[in-house]
Amino acid sequence: MTEPTTSPFVLWIDDPAAVGSRLLGGKFGSLAEMTAGGFAVPGGFGITTTAYRYFLEYAGLADRAREVRAQAVGADLAQVQAISAEFTAAIQAAPLPADLETAILTAYAELERRTGRSRLPVAVRSSGESEDLAGASFAGQYDTFLWVRGADEVLRYVRSCWAGMFGAAVLTYRPDSDLTAATADHGICVGIQQMVEARAAGVMFTLDPVTGDRSKVVIEGCWGLGEGVVSGGVTPSRYVVDKVTFEVLKRDVAHQEAMYSFDPAIAAVGLVPVATDRCDAPCLADDQIHALAELAKRIERHRGAPQDIEWAVSEAGDVHVLQVRPETVWSHRQAEQLVTERKSAVGHVLARFAGVGVASNGGRPS
Amino acid sequence: MTSSHTSTNGVPSSEGAAQAVPGQRFASPFAVQTPAGAEGWQSMYPYYALLSEERRELEDGKFWFFDGMHNPEPLYPFDTIMTENWWVAASQMSTRVWPVPPAGGIDHRIINGYLYISPNAVTDPAEVARRAEDFAVRAGHYYENWDEIYEQWVAKATDCIERLTAITFAPLPEMEPLDSVLEHRGVYSSYQLLTSYGALIENLFEMGSYHFEMLNLGYGAYLTFREFCQAAFPGISDQTIASMVSGIDILLFRPDDEVRSLAKLAVELELTDLVLGNEDPAAALKAIGAHPDGARWLAAFEEAKDPWFWFSTGAGYTHSDRAWIDDLRLPFTALRGYVQGLLDGEDIRRPLDEILAERVRVTAEYRTYLPTEADRESFDGLVELARQVFPFVENHNFYVEHWHHSLFWSKVRELGDVFVAHGFLDDREDMFYLHRNEIYSALYDLNIGWATGTEARGVTYWRPEVERRRRIRDVLKANPPVPALGAPPEFITEPLTVMLWGITQESVQEWLGVDGLDGNELRGVAASAGKATGRGRGIIDPEQLHEVEDGDILVCRITAPSWAPVFSRLSAAVSDVGGIMAHTAIVCREYGLPAVVGTGFATTSIRTGQLIEVDGNTGVVRVLEDVSA
Repeated sequence: MTEPTTSPFVLWIDDPAAVGSRLLGGKFGSLAEMTAGGFAVPGGFGITTTAYRYFLEYAGLADRAREVRAQAVGADLAQVQAISAEFTAAIQAAPLPADLETAILTAYAELERRTGRSRLPVAVRSSGESEDLAGASFAGQYDTFLWVRGADEVLRYVRSCWAGMFGAAVLTYRPDSDLTAATADHGICVGIQQMVEARAAGVMFTLDPVTGDRSKVVIEGCWGLGEGVVSGGVTPSRYVVDKVTFEVLKRDVAHQEAMYSFDPAIAAVGLVPVATDRCDAPCLADDQIHALAELAKRIERHRGAPQDIEWAVSEAGDVHVLQVRPETVWSHRQAEQLVTERKSAVGHVLARFAGVGVASNGGRPS
Repeated sequence: MTSSHTSTNGVPSSEGAAQAVPGQRFASPFAVQTPAGAEGWQSMYPYYALLSEERRELEDGKFWFFDGMHNPEPLYPFDTIMTENWWVAASQMSTRVWPVPPAGGIDHRIINGYLYISPNAVTDPAEVARRAEDFAVRAGHYYENWDEIYEQWVAKATDCIERLTAITFAPLPEMEPLDSVLEHRGVYSSYQLLTSYGALIENLFEMGSYHFEMLNLGYGAYLTFREFCQAAFPGISDQTIASMVSGIDILLFRPDDEVRSLAKLAVELELTDLVLGNEDPAAALKAIGAHPDGARWLAAFEEAKDPWFWFSTGAGYTHSDRAWIDDLRLPFTALRGYVQGLLDGEDIRRPLDEILAERVRVTAEYRTYLPTEADRESFDGLVELARQVFPFVENHNFYVEHWHHSLFWSKVRELGDVFVAHGFLDDREDMFYLHRNEIYSALYDLNIGWATGTEARGVTYWRPEVERRRRIRDVLKANPPVPALGAPPEFITEPLTVMLWGITQESVQEWLGVDGLDGNELRGVAASAGKATGRGRGIIDPEQLHEVEDGDILVCRITAPSWAPVFSRLSAAVSDVGGIMAHTAIVCREYGLPAVVGTGFATTSIRTGQLIEVDGNTGVVRVLEDVSA
């Protein structure tokens, strides 16, 4: 079954060998690490970067892929779109090698077996090798497909993820005008993961993204799947939690009329109405806020730096980690000194009595 | 219903005085009407504590807020000794002893019997700078030598209390004792009565001065640490900041700890049936006394009682704040609870190690979230200084308000008995209707009667006067005061105002906007974390504490730490007044009771029996359901 000497097409995120493996790309590699750390990550496997490269070679598209990237660098948007359209069509039409197809179908069947559910709904997401490189998160550029069911659909969306590597947005994504990030021959892993039928979901930061205050966990969440929060399409409720004491210091509960959820009418994820009694109700109970903040703190400690985390709470109330990423804004910023001046404690107090605040921002709570 | 608009002797007119304008200003203090039946209330108080036509411009231009924290009720004339004490003793610290650069003293006025106060500010930058120099030298000396000065403070306070204990009052004898003659004393019982009273009053002012010797500096060090935390960790709660600093072995916990020890001894000596079977403390003590091992318990009880039961059921500032030692029902309620807990196999000890470990953890963790080494250095220094000053900040309360003042009130009652014995008054409690300076006169009157054999004037003078004052005070009490008067300030800088009374820019704005429940919601300061729902139980008088039922939410002007025995039956507490450092916020937190303080209007807008929700995390109190019919 296993191929100890050759690189595998499929790597399960709970496989000890998955931890630290470049074969899973950034997103799925982190989830393997989270799984090994004992965090509640929905089960799944990655179709590795090896599988992706094998597919391109087998289809005779590998050289063309390098050319496409190089051409896109100097081109205007219309040209990029034309190049992109042509090459993604080629990927969609190319044959899938039989051994790779078998590996994917066997793994999906195994996931169905593990969860005891045939035609198990899964999320299919790209997980790029280039993710989480300094200054090149490729945030939001890669594809995610939700509620994918059955072997045929899985195969179709895996191929869509591969094609997505050559979408116009990806080809032109260069936040630091650094061409090496854009033209490098990065591979991609496609993650297949059990869907969490989320009662509520969203993102959280292990610091306050507005002030950089490291003593807070800031949670944004909404009813239904978290796609609305990530895409910005749904205004989330917001909770500021003290990381030391877990007190909820601030809560802004948003009014929400529509949520992302599986819509049987279209047999896909779409915007559906929120139940009337939930429109103005908080999407998280206090114990769930506490559990999320505690989870965020453990993940930050485990990863050794501030994190940006996607989460979901199931209808039964279990909390799941869907994605973890290093926080990139404050972590790269030079720390600013808080006290106006270095002086003794008595010096600070005497100055305070004279009307001079201890901190440069005046010590006023924001 | 109608009130006097005519200006009588010394009483300024209310004609033309500004009315309250929501969102802009409070009513002028001169616009406050005397309730019908309370005319002449001014005669109960000293002239300098009253509004006057001559100082009208000054008094009209200031911001006055009601000091319900210390004086929830109309002042008894005698009890003004406490407010008059700190009018000088607290104010002189900020003006004459170490001039706090931007803050002056705190002014007082009595309006309709209620105490209103107004902090003075120093605004001239040149004067602020001058004061800063003196302040740095003088306050710096105290901070640098804090522990030594605090040790001296405890010695001074203890000595003051010992001298107070030694003061006694007794009716004048029919005949001067023979010893006075044989020892050639030359001064007699009349002189002794007069000078003992003088010593009593001086003793109060002495302790009253010690009260503020280190207090403002202690608050200042804490306030600086608090501001640092608020700047570093925006939104951090006040109780979290306090938890990094507050001590675990403070004296305010000692009375309760003594009761826990007595409960343990009662179990060891197998006296539990006698403790649990007698709700009346006197009956319980009698039954224990009759038990073969009872003497050992009673000895331990007497040992604990003095000084630890000199524990006031109020703020200690008014004579109606009785101490545990005056009324043993509260400590015995606690005793029964602990005995029952021990019989049920509970561990009734306070988890000191856990509390301390949590304090260490919380402090160390916040430290790791600071941005730079310079900030961590400042944090370390400020938390250390705040912890150094805190034993005084927390413990002065036991020495001053509980032990000294409770003892003081009992001595005043002893003197009341002298007036009863000489026919001036019907009841010892009536002497609180006399101002302390009137008592000097009454004592002289009494001496004249004793010396001459003529009936003293006071025998016929004071009874009707006390009756008149009682009627007036009862009317005033039925007319609760508004929280603030006058022109709202632009800034509040005076540290005591913020820390002790919880009065901030925000609370002033709140008072300006509303005059009661806003919808079904009251806002205050989140003083102790947690959330609870229960029936409101309004407590205006500590006597009502015995009505508390399990699960009730206490609704009061202000809580006192000595109410702790009923805390175990409560699910939360709400008060009208009090800031984060108010005497009881610390103890509330220790008992894990959700609390919202400084709501302004809880006692006037929540009725006993209403279902309310208290959110000690956000400082919000909601009325969920009216009293069920």
